[in-house]
Parts: sequence; structure tokens; C-alpha cells
Amino acid sequence: MSTVDYNRWTGKIAIRRLTTSQAWLYSVLVVLSSATVYGFLVLDTKGVGLIDAATRTIEYFGLMFGSPRGVPSHFGVFNDSTAALFLASFNLVLQTLSLAFLSTLLGGVIALVLGLFGAKNLTGPRTSNAIKGLMALIRAVPTVLWVLIFAIGAGLGAVAAVIGMSFHTIGYLLKAYSESFEEIDEGVIEALRASGASWLHIVSQAVLPSSITQILSWTFLRFEINFAVAVAMGAAAGAGGIGYNMFISAGYFFDIREIGFITYQILVIAILLEVVATRLKKRYRLAS
Amino acid sequence: MALLDVRKLTKSYGETQALSDVSFQISKGEFVSVIGPSGSGKTTLIRCVNRLIEPSAGEIVFDGKEMTALRGPELRRERARIGMIFQHYNLVYRLTVIENVLHGRLGYKGAIKGVFSMYDEQEKRHALEILELLGLGELVYRRCDMLSGGQKQRVGIARALVQNPRIILCDEPISSLDPSSARIIMDYLLKIRTEMGITMVVNLHQIDVARKYSSRILGFNKGTLVFDGPSDQLSQQKIYEIYGAEAGELIND
Repeated sequence: MSTVDYNRWTGKIAIRRLTTSQAWLYSVLVVLSSATVYGFLVLDTKGVGLIDAATRTIEYFGLMFGSPRGVPSHFGVFNDSTAALFLASFNLVLQTLSLAFLSTLLGGVIALVLGLFGAKNLTGPRTSNAIKGLMALIRAVPTVLWVLIFAIGAGLGAVAAVIGMSFHTIGYLLKAYSESFEEIDEGVIEALRASGASWLHIVSQAVLPSSITQILSWTFLRFEINFAVAVAMGAAAGAGGIGYNMFISAGYFFDIREIGFITYQILVIAILLEVVATRLKKRYRLAS
Repeated sequence: MALLDVRKLTKSYGETQALSDVSFQISKGEFVSVIGPSGSGKTTLIRCVNRLIEPSAGEIVFDGKEMTALRGPELRRERARIGMIFQHYNLVYRLTVIENVLHGRLGYKGAIKGVFSMYDEQEKRHALEILELLGLGELVYRRCDMLSGGQKQRVGIARALVQNPRIILCDEPISSLDPSSARIIMDYLLKIRTEMGITMVVNLHQIDVARKYSSRILGFNKGTLVFDGPSDQLSQQKIYEIYGAEAGELIND
């Protein structure tokens, strides 16, 4: 008969044991949260009390979105006509939309051509992996950085913004396009090959017709993203459009109500684009 | 002279031999069924003929041309003379019936004309005639995803016929169809053989169908040709050899 040693279980009994990775995770969390708390404690508030700051924040938000108003002269309008003001600001929104449209078009065309070579079933795995790897690298760098990189050559402005945004668009759309191409039934390609069709014939007669709806909805999705980026680029890269005016209102005129006015305009366009993109996405059941 | 002369054809994937040392000849106008269990090399065999699969060794002489030596445009030209029909039809479902049928002409087209679907009037007329012949005259402008299985397969046959092929290779043409559609398809294949004189090589899983329609049967087991003779000479003993003893019960009915 074996004897059981109950004396091993001494002291307080734990019902859990930490694994090494859990131990690391918890210590990192503890360090980060104490650093955050410490940060708040030593924050330089310039003598503004918490309650005072909170009420003012709420007040400003109320001003911004409760009573938005554009100053006509900030939009280059020198009379009191509301219609002229809206026309001028809508013109700026159109400029931003154009930036987004142009970079989506340029990026889309290049991505479509390169995407054919990026699809495993249309080239070999080697070419496909090389192209996809390169594109992953391009995607990994944020759009803003690409714009600033191209600003070295083109100078800050619309040209650098469009080139930089197109560049990131190529990386994004190429992945989407080539994956759509790869989803095509291998048998269709085989059938056309068997009848003596060339590579160009197969691409134009089978691959593109089968994936055209997916290509269109991915492109629109990217257009929506590019619009948001174009607003930011107006401010960050001086690319013009409504984003630049927002930057001026915020940083130069300190006009909180005008920021509200511009934000509402951007919001309307963004919601419209979002609705269309969601519908397209649902219709063709795209994986995100 | 034989239309198709296969000599010592071998195809191996690493260690496994999909086909080993297969030799046979097919004359013009024959209706040949190829039977054998799954994985016996039927599919590999017919794909080697039009080089969708590269043979490892051996020769395939089609209509006097050595297929294994062909490259690029020359290969395309010979493939255009060989029709092919598939189990899963392999149509572009977003396109119409006539567009799919005209894909059979791409092998004869240059880059620009093929890419922009610039087909001659004569080609289009030919395609319509074939569609009428196959009973698809009412469905010319129907999108292919709206068709039934049997109709899809008839579009597949039309696409092969519009090539003006000397031979048609069929890879299990009726395996995805219900019995009555399967019968219609087999009847059309037989009709094409007798009325147009186009040679047929058909991979089949159904022995009774092979017996009924073909003039000659090739039986494969594990990549080797174990039976080659007129369909009435396919004895029960030979069927055991092709399918292995364990399949006996399946095929006795």
C-alpha cells in the first residue's frame, strides 16, 4: 500500500498557476497602468481645474456642433449670401473628392494590371509571392508617410498627396484584386487553355468577367477610404480642399463654430459613401 | 494512319506513378470509353493528350504531330483542333450562352480580336447553328448561371464543336448530371460521332453506359492499361481486373 503525503500542501492553497507568458502579460499590464496613473498625477494643467475644464469642453462641443457657422471671407466669399458661402465650401469638398477620385483611379488601374501578375493561378507562385510581398511592404507604411516621402520630390501639395495616396492604394487594391482573381474556378481557366486560348484571352474573356463586380466594389471601398485620407492630407500636406480650410479654421482663426460647419459637410459625404460601400459589400459578400 | 497514337506514355508525381508505360492507338471516327476506378489515371491520360498536364516520358502523336514537342503558338494551334468537355462544365457563368460558345474560337484568334470579342459573322453563324442543333436555340442570350446542369453541359459541347475539332476529349461528362440529362448528353455525343465523324474519347464511371455507347473500351487500373478491346469483349473477369475484387458487388446490378 502506498502512503499519501498530505504534507506537500502547506500554506494558503492556490487554485491557479500562472504560466510564464501570463506572468509576463500581467507584469506589463501593471507597469503600463501605473505609468498611466503617474502621468495623470504629474500632468501640467496650467492651473485649470478639472471641473472648469470639463464644463468648458462640453461648452465648446456644444458651440461646434450646436451652432455651426462659416465665416464667408474664410472661403473667399465677400458678401452675406448664404448660397454663395455654401457653394464655395461645397467647391472645396469637391476638391477633396477629386483628390480621392484621382488617386483611386491611378492606383486602381496600376493595381489591376499588377494584380493579374499577383494572382497565383495566373502566374507562378514565385512571381505572385514577390509582388504580394512588395505590396505588403507598401501597405505597411502609412499613407501620410508616403505623401511626405513624395513631397521631397514634388513639394508639399496636391501632387505629392495624389502620388502618395495612389501608392498606398496600389498596395491595398492589388491584394484585393489578386485575391478575387484567385477565387475564380480553376476549371474555367483550364477549359479556355484546352481550346488554345492565350493568356491575354483567358484574362479578358474569363478572369475579368468573372470578377468584375468584386473589383468594382473593392475599388469603391478604397475610394471611401481615400476621401477620409484626402481630408487629412489637405491639412497635413497642404493638398488643398476642405481639409486645408479646416486646418486654417482650427489653427489660425481658432473658429470653433466654423470647424463644426466643415465637419458636418464632411460627415454628410462620408455617410453617403459609407452607405453605398456597405450596400455593395453586402451585395457581393466581400470578405473584409 | 491512327488519329491518336500514344506510345509508352508515363506520368509520375514524385514517387507515385499516375500513368506507367501506356500505349494505344485510336483511329478516326472511333467512340472510345476510358474506364477505371478513381485515381487510376483516366483524367491524367486525357489531359496529357492536349498537354494540360506535362507527360514525364513517352510520345503522343496527334494527327501526325508530336504533341510533346510543341511550344507556344504551335501548341495553341494544335489544342484548337482538340475539343474538351468537363464534368463541371467550366463555363464563365456571368457571360451568355453564345459568348461561352464563341470561347471555342479563341484558339484561332490573335490577341486583339480575342480580347475584344471580335468574332467573324461566319463564326457567329456557325455557333448559332450548333446551338440550334443541340436544342439551345431559345437560350442564346441567357446568362449561363441561369441554366440547368444538362443545359450547361450542352453549352460545353457547343463550345467544343465550334472549334471544328478532329477529336473531342470528355472528362466524366455525365458524372454531375441526373440520369435523364445524362442520357441526353450521351445521345448527343454519339450523334456527333456518327453524323459529324468526330472521334470521341470519353472518361466514364458507369460501365453500362460505356458498354452501350462506345465501340471500344480502355480499362485502367493504377495507371496501367489492363483492357483494350471492343466493348462486347469486356467480360466480368476483366471488370474485376480493372476495378479490383472489392468492387464486385457494386457493378453486378
